[in-house]
Amino acid sequence: MKTKSNPKATVAAALAAALLLIGAADAFGYNVRLSQIDPSRLLLTQNVRLYVSVTDDRGLPVEGLGAEAFRIFESPDGQNFQRIEGLSEFKPGAAAAEGITFLLLIDNSGSMYDTVEGQPTEDAGRMRITHAKNAVRTFLGSMTQPKDTVGLVSYNTSYTLLAEPSGDKSLAAGFLQGIERPDPEQAYTELYAALTLAVEDFSGFGGRKAIVILSDGENYPYLEHSGSPHPEFGEKIYQYTEPIRACQEAGISVYAVNFAAQKDPNLEAIAVETGGTVFDARDQEELARVYQSIHRQVAGEYLIGYRATMAPAQKKYVRVQVQENGQSRQATRFYFSSTVFGLPLYKLSALLVIPLVLAFLLLWLISRLKFEKKRGPATLEVLKTRVGRAQTRVIPLSSAKTVIGGSRSADLTIAGNPGVKEQHATVVYDSKKKAYTVVGSGDLTVNNRPVKTKVLEPGDVIDVGGATIVFDDGEV
Amino acid sequence: MSTGWRRVILLCLGILGGVAAWPLTELIVGAQGSFPSYLLFVAVLGAAVGLLMGAFFGSAAGIFARVGSRILSGMLVGAFVGMIGGVIGLLIGQAALFLIGGVFLDSYRSFQTIGLPIARAIGWAFLGIFVGAAEGFRAVSGKKIGIGLVGGLIGGLIGGAALEYSRLYLPPSLPSRLIGLVVLGLAIALFYGIIEHSMSFGTLRVLNGRLKGKEFILNEGRIRIGRARRNQITLEPYENLADRQVQIRFRRGEALLTNLEPKYPVLVNDRPVKEHRLKYEDVLKIGSAKLFYSYE
Repeated sequence: MKTKSNPKATVAAALAAALLLIGAADAFGYNVRLSQIDPSRLLLTQNVRLYVSVTDDRGLPVEGLGAEAFRIFESPDGQNFQRIEGLSEFKPGAAAAEGITFLLLIDNSGSMYDTVEGQPTEDAGRMRITHAKNAVRTFLGSMTQPKDTVGLVSYNTSYTLLAEPSGDKSLAAGFLQGIERPDPEQAYTELYAALTLAVEDFSGFGGRKAIVILSDGENYPYLEHSGSPHPEFGEKIYQYTEPIRACQEAGISVYAVNFAAQKDPNLEAIAVETGGTVFDARDQEELARVYQSIHRQVAGEYLIGYRATMAPAQKKYVRVQVQENGQSRQATRFYFSSTVFGLPLYKLSALLVIPLVLAFLLLWLISRLKFEKKRGPATLEVLKTRVGRAQTRVIPLSSAKTVIGGSRSADLTIAGNPGVKEQHATVVYDSKKKAYTVVGSGDLTVNNRPVKTKVLEPGDVIDVGGATIVFDDGEV
Repeated sequence: MSTGWRRVILLCLGILGGVAAWPLTELIVGAQGSFPSYLLFVAVLGAAVGLLMGAFFGSAAGIFARVGSRILSGMLVGAFVGMIGGVIGLLIGQAALFLIGGVFLDSYRSFQTIGLPIARAIGWAFLGIFVGAAEGFRAVSGKKIGIGLVGGLIGGLIGGAALEYSRLYLPPSLPSRLIGLVVLGLAIALFYGIIEHSMSFGTLRVLNGRLKGKEFILNEGRIRIGRARRNQITLEPYENLADRQVQIRFRRGEALLTNLEPKYPVLVNDRPVKEHRLKYEDVLKIGSAKLFYSYE
């Protein structure tokens, strides 16, 4: 399919459509989330695996649903969905044993150095950042699953990836120690930008992924409050919907740990819309349960496998519908399904046979080409010169004497080579014997043998001061 | 035929291979929805592209040697090996595309303008590698396989990106897949032509007679020269030489010439030899033909 549309606009429209679909909801009490689409077996087995999270209105996983509660649809355009009949795989709780990759985002902006109530303080023990660092330590200490990995990011005006996700929890702990109060230029809070960038940093990691953000919920963009363009984002101000969209597409849940006295409505929306939760940092017991809560949610996911359709598309939209008590709730995401040769033409024409025939016809013509020499005059041809250059590459031996030398008046001039005499060698034609003889006045070799004079045979190679000259009598 | 002509013909064959593969490609791509699986769809597509491009590249050796039967046999073997290469290459390419495309789709950072072209270029590169190497497998020559690998890799990368960018930025009436396939064929041929020389053991240039000016690129470990067409270097229009007169073996940087038929003398620098270690700029006389051994 060919369109001339602006590619960015196309992507934006597709994403907007996806967002609409994802956001579609009714009064049904369940939340359905397509945590992950795994098309890694698509090529070999035609199967696509879905990890579906179904939670109730308290964010707790809904267990015990049977395969009949799920309906799968696929669409090449996000509009026309085709029902997939029959599932190839259905496993409740299949992701329980899988590791989770966590990315911890710690807010290191100016406001994190106030008290939880938002009052300025010099008492480090009362600062939000101290609580946040303690919360990270608690989190790292509670990580018990050996397959889990964790990375650390700090953000304020800038986004800084401190530690890439790794199984070594002490790495993140070490970097946590180094987080210091930012200077005023760095003290702004690009919360939404940081979350969006974190999703991009996460894109290279497979499997189940979760972002844990430790923040006071404040988004205090540099551009808006300093009046100058942001050093990295320029005139762009990130909206809270951007990380929601990015996380939903990438199947990442955001879990927020709140360090302000009030819950920030946007931070809460980010967490809930991405299938995560907001934890209250003042509740130490709750804080200690963050890790277990996330694990429980992942463990409650349903693994559903189905046979993919073959409709051509750059990406295929998958919709999961959960039916319960006559009501339904659905979630939609897409996976990459483009093939190496891309989308088909709108219509095929019988004229396509012409290039095929033409190509074979031209091949036949090429195969008929004869690259054979015809009879011609006797010649001297300069193949190469080691020093200097030849004025002409080929000269016919049309006179009785043909002089090879450095002189301009020579018939074959090798210029710029001090080793070549003015008249270095002469090719003499004996019309009675019909033979050509080369006679040297300087050093001369024929077929790599030093000679003074030699009757030439066709194909003899004369070397004059490093210039390689081939004699040919023109016969074939 | 000089090296220059040889390169021009290779380029023509590359373009024609791409042009020939295009209609079949469109036909198969158009029928994607009718295939039961991606595996079969990709395998059939790879087979079709590899078969046609392999056939065209396979004809090269016969065209250079000017032997009609070798053109046909080269095409058949090239088509067969190309077909296998195409299937393997496109399957790996598709797997790579699914993998990389998924990553780019997740990061959605300029997916259409950067992500998809990169992913597709990598997918095509695998196709290029296997189609390019097919000629080397046909000739059972490690060097040729190497040449084809590099040419195919670069050609595939450029061809895949060309397909994507021509689709994005050129009018929709232009067949982007044709452009991609032609660029793939052209690039394989171009790099083959360039690298063939530098990866070879040198050239033998005919200095006289009907084949004067023709350069034979020595890119196989064992070269046989004689009147018969089964030799890599056929000196059919010349006299006083046997069907299989001379063998040159390249081993550990040395080129050893052996006269296989003592009935006719073989001269190196005007001296008759039975066995001779060749050095560059030696002048060989085999029958009435004179040849110049060099490395440019």
